[in-house]
Amino acid sequence: MEATQVVIIGGGATGAGILWDLSLRGISAILLEQGDIANGATGRCHGLLHSGGRYAVKDPDTARECVAENRIIKAVAPHCVDEVGGIFVKCAQDDPAFFEQWWRAAGEVGIRSHRLSREEARELEPNLAADILGAFTCPDAHVDVFRLVLANLEAAVARGGRFLTYSEVTSILSADGRVRGVRYRNTRSGEEDEISCEVVINAAGGWAQGIAAMAGVDVPVLCDKGTLLVLNHRLNRRVINRCRKSSDADILVPAGPVCILGTSSIRVPSPEGLAASREEVDHLLRLGDELIPGLVNARILRIFCGVRPLYAPMPVEVARGREISRGFALLDHGTRDGVSGFISIVGGKLTTYRLMAAAACDCVAAKLGVDVECTTDKTPLRPAVDRTTHHRAIHVLPHPVAEMMERRLGPETDQVIQAIETRPDLAEVVCECELVTRGELEYVLGGATPAPACTIADVGRRTRLGFGPCQGTFCGYKAMLAGFQTHRWTASEAATEFSAYLHERAKGQAFIHQGKQVEQLDLNYDLYGADRMLCADSGKQDGI
Amino acid sequence: MESDRYDVIVVGAGVSGLVTAGAAAHRNLKVALVATGPGSFVTGPGWLKAQDILCASAAPELGEAIAFFCEMARRAGCPYAGDISTAKYLPTLLGDFQSVALAPLLLWNAEPRDGVSTAVIGIRGLSSFDENFMAERLSERARAMSSSGTYAARQISLSRDMGAPVTTLHLAQLFDRDPGFRKELVYALRAAASGFQRIFVPGMLGLASSAEQIAEFKRELLCEVCEIPTLPPSIPGLRVFHRMESYLHQIGVELFRGFPVKEVVIHDGLCTGVRIAAPGHAMNLRGLCVVLATGRHSASPLNGAYAGRDQQMRPLASTGAVMARNLFIAESLPDSGAGNNGDAMRILTGYRAGNLAASTRGNHAA
Ligand SMILES: Cc1cc2nc3c(=O)[nH]c(=O)nc-3n(C[C@H](O)[C@H](O)[C@H](O)COP(=O)(O)OP(=O)(O)OC[C@H]3O[C@@H](n4cnc5c(N)ncnc54)[C@H](O)[C@@H]3O)c2cc1C
Repeated sequence: MEATQVVIIGGGATGAGILWDLSLRGISAILLEQGDIANGATGRCHGLLHSGGRYAVKDPDTARECVAENRIIKAVAPHCVDEVGGIFVKCAQDDPAFFEQWWRAAGEVGIRSHRLSREEARELEPNLAADILGAFTCPDAHVDVFRLVLANLEAAVARGGRFLTYSEVTSILSADGRVRGVRYRNTRSGEEDEISCEVVINAAGGWAQGIAAMAGVDVPVLCDKGTLLVLNHRLNRRVINRCRKSSDADILVPAGPVCILGTSSIRVPSPEGLAASREEVDHLLRLGDELIPGLVNARILRIFCGVRPLYAPMPVEVARGREISRGFALLDHGTRDGVSGFISIVGGKLTTYRLMAAAACDCVAAKLGVDVECTTDKTPLRPAVDRTTHHRAIHVLPHPVAEMMERRLGPETDQVIQAIETRPDLAEVVCECELVTRGELEYVLGGATPAPACTIADVGRRTRLGFGPCQGTFCGYKAMLAGFQTHRWTASEAATEFSAYLHERAKGQAFIHQGKQVEQLDLNYDLYGADRMLCADSGKQDGI
Repeated sequence: MESDRYDVIVVGAGVSGLVTAGAAAHRNLKVALVATGPGSFVTGPGWLKAQDILCASAAPELGEAIAFFCEMARRAGCPYAGDISTAKYLPTLLGDFQSVALAPLLLWNAEPRDGVSTAVIGIRGLSSFDENFMAERLSERARAMSSSGTYAARQISLSRDMGAPVTTLHLAQLFDRDPGFRKELVYALRAAASGFQRIFVPGMLGLASSAEQIAEFKRELLCEVCEIPTLPPSIPGLRVFHRMESYLHQIGVELFRGFPVKEVVIHDGLCTGVRIAAPGHAMNLRGLCVVLATGRHSASPLNGAYAGRDQQMRPLASTGAVMARNLFIAESLPDSGAGNNGDAMRILTGYRAGNLAASTRGNHAA
C-alpha cells in the first residue's frame, strides 16, 4: 500500500488547486479523480472569471472575493485567461432601480467600472439589441477551465505532487475515530488499491455529500443544474451580462472561437445523469435573443449541463438555487463531527478555487504542523516559453499554430517542436478549428507528459481538439488513428474508443433540431453509420 | 416576357435536388438548379444503405424512383450496382461492415469473400487513411461474420512531391489529368498486389475519368480493385455529384452555382420565383413552380414560417394553411424530426417533386 501525507478526492479546479498549494508547502499529496480532469462542474461551467459584478448586489462578500481572485488568476495563470473584459447591459425590459443599485454596489466592493451610453455600448458590441439603455464595464474574463486544472496539476507534479485520473474513491479507511486512508478503483481496468495517509480532503463538488457519508458524516450539498449552449462563433467580443437580479440566460461568454450562452438553475437530486430538455434550450435561446437579436437562429454546436455544488446548511425545503450564497465552506470534521484527519471544502465558484484551496491547505498545514504560508497568489503556475523554443516553433509551424501550441503547452512545447524537427509529418494540423498539430496529438497520447490522455475526449480536454463545428467528426477520427499508430490502442480498441467518443459528442447535440449542426450530425450518420436518435434520450451531457 | 421564366426552379444540389432536376428535365421542363454548393451526399461514400431503403419502402413508387436514379447515374457516367431488394456488407471508414443496397460500381465488390485474400493499400503521405488500421479491423470483423477472407496491409509511395499531407482530392485530380501518374500508380499497385486476389484502395480513382479510362486502369492492374470510403473530401460521393451535375448541364438544365437563395417570393398563395444573392446585385429568377431541396433544416429559405408539409409535399404555415400551392419540399422527411431518413428518401421525394412540377405545368397550360 502506498503512503502519502494527504489524499485529495476530486480533480476539479478546487482539488487541483489544493494539490498545487500543498506541493508549494512541501506537503506530499496524491489527488484521485474518478473521471478525467475537470470531470465535474469545472469542466461543465461557463468559464467566466467573474469580476464580482454578478454578486455585487446580492452577496458583497463573494463579490469581494471575486474582485481579488480575478486579479490574482490573471497574474499567476495568464496562459489560461483571455482578458476579454465584460459589460453589464441595461435592458429596456428590466428594472431601472436595479441599475443604480448595481452601480453603487459595484463601487463599494471595488469593481473597476464605468458607464457607457447606448451608443458607446453598441459601438463595443454591435450585436446588442438596438433598444438597450446603456451599460457598465467590468473586468470579466474567460478562463479555459481544462487548461487551468491541467496547469495546477502539472505545476504540482513538477514539485512532487501526484494525481491519478479514472480512480474512484470507493471507501474511506478509518480506525479509532481517525481517517487512515482511502480505497479506490481504477474505473477503466477495474483494479482496486489503497493509499494510506494522515489527512483526506473531500473536494468532490456535487459528490461531496456522498464522499462525506463514506466517513459517516453529513455534508449538505445541493445540486443545482445549469445548462449551457455553445454557439458556433463569437457573437460578442466581451462577456455580456444582463444587468438585473440573476436569472436565466443572462450571460454570454466569448470562449476562443465560439461563445457560450447560459444558464439555467434547476434543482436536481444528483450530479450524475444530467440532461437538458428541449424546453430549457428553447427558453435559453429566447431569452438570449432579447440581448442579441437573431441569436435564436445561431448555429448551436453543443449543449451541456453541469451542477453547481451549493453548500446548504439550512433545511433543503427553504434553500433555492440562486438564493444560496456562492461563498464556500471549509468543514473540519475533527472538530465538527469527531472524525479527525478529514476535511471537506464545498460550495464556492470556479473563480474562487484558489482561495478555497488556500483555506483547505491552511487547515491541513496546521494539522500536520507545517509552518509554511500559502504562496499560490504570488507564484506563477508555469514559466514562460523561452525565446529559442519560440523561434524554433515558428520555424517549423505557421505563426498562429505555433502560438496556440505555446499557449497550451508552455515549456512542454519544446518537446513537441523537437519531435516535429525530426519528423516533419508531425507538423500537420489535424484539428483545423483549434489548430492542433499531429505532434501535439501524439504528445498528449504518449507517456512523456505528466497528464497523458486515455480517451479521445481526454485529448480534447488537453488540446481543445473537437471543440469546433465538426465536434470531432474529422479530427476525432484522426486522433483515433494517432492512438492506433502510437500503439496506444489496437485497431478494435481504437474503433471502440472512437464510437464511444462520437456517442458522447452526439449526446451534447441531441436537442439541436435545426440548422447547420444537424447537417453535421447527418454527416456522422453517412460516414460512420452513427445514429443520432439512439442518443437523443439517453443519459447525461458531457462538458464542452 | 414568358421566355425568361423557368418551368421549375430547384433549390439545392444534394441528391434530392439533382434527382428533382433530372426528373423534371426528362419531362422536358425548363429547369434552373440553384445551389450554394454540393450537398452532403458528396461527403459520404455515395451508397444507399439497406436501412435507408427500408425507411422509404412504404412508398409504392420507390422502385421506380431508384431505377430512375440509377439510370441517371449510368448516363452521367457513374454507374451503380445493386438494387432495392438486395443488401451486402461493404467496409466503412471505421473498418466495420455496413449493409448496403446500392453503391457506385467502384465500391460494390468489397464485401467479405470466403477464401479471398485482399490487400488494403495505403498511400504514403495520405495521413487520413491508415491501411494497417483498416486491415486489422476488417480481418477481425470478417472473422466475426464467419468469413474466411483475409486482409493484409500494404503501402505504396508515389515519387512525385505532392506536399504533405496529401489529400484524396489531390490524388483524384492527378488521376484525371495526368496519364503519367496513372501509369505510376498502376505499377506501384501491381507490385503491392502481387499474391493477392483483390485490392482495396482509399477512394481516389479520379472525379472525371471516363468509364473507359477506369476500365483500362482496372485491366492493367490484373486483379480486382475496389475503393473504400475515406474522410471528406470523399471522392466516391464527390464523383457522383460532379458527374450528375455535368449530365444535367448537358441535358439543358441551367445551373446557378455558388449563389445562396435569399428569398422565396410568395404572393397570395402562389410562388413566383426566388431571389438569389449574386455578387454585387440580387437576381430574381421567375418560375412556374419551385422545389426546395435544401436539407431538412433552418437553412431552408423559408426559415421560421415553415411548420410542416402536406401529402403533396407543399409547405404548411403554423396555421396549417398551404404556404404556396406551387412550392414543394423535396427532402428526407423535414418535419418528422426523426433523425436522418437517408438518401433513399431523398431520392424518392426528389423524384416525386420532379413529377409534381411537371403536372403543375400541365395545370398551368390548361
Ligand atoms: C452551468 C454552470 C456554470 C458555471 N459557471 C461558472 C462561471 O462562469 N464562473 C465560475 O466561477 N463558476 C461557475 N460555476 C461554478 C463552478 O463550476 C464550480 O463552483 C466549480 O467548478 C466547482 O469546482 P470543484 O472542483 O469544487 O468541483 P467539481 O469540478 O465538481 O469537481 C469535483 C470532482 O470530484 C470528482 N469525484 C466525485 N466523486 C469522486 C470519487 N468518489 N472519487 C474520485 N473523484 C470523485 C468528480 O468527478 C469531479 O471531477 C458554474 C457552474 C455551473 C454548473
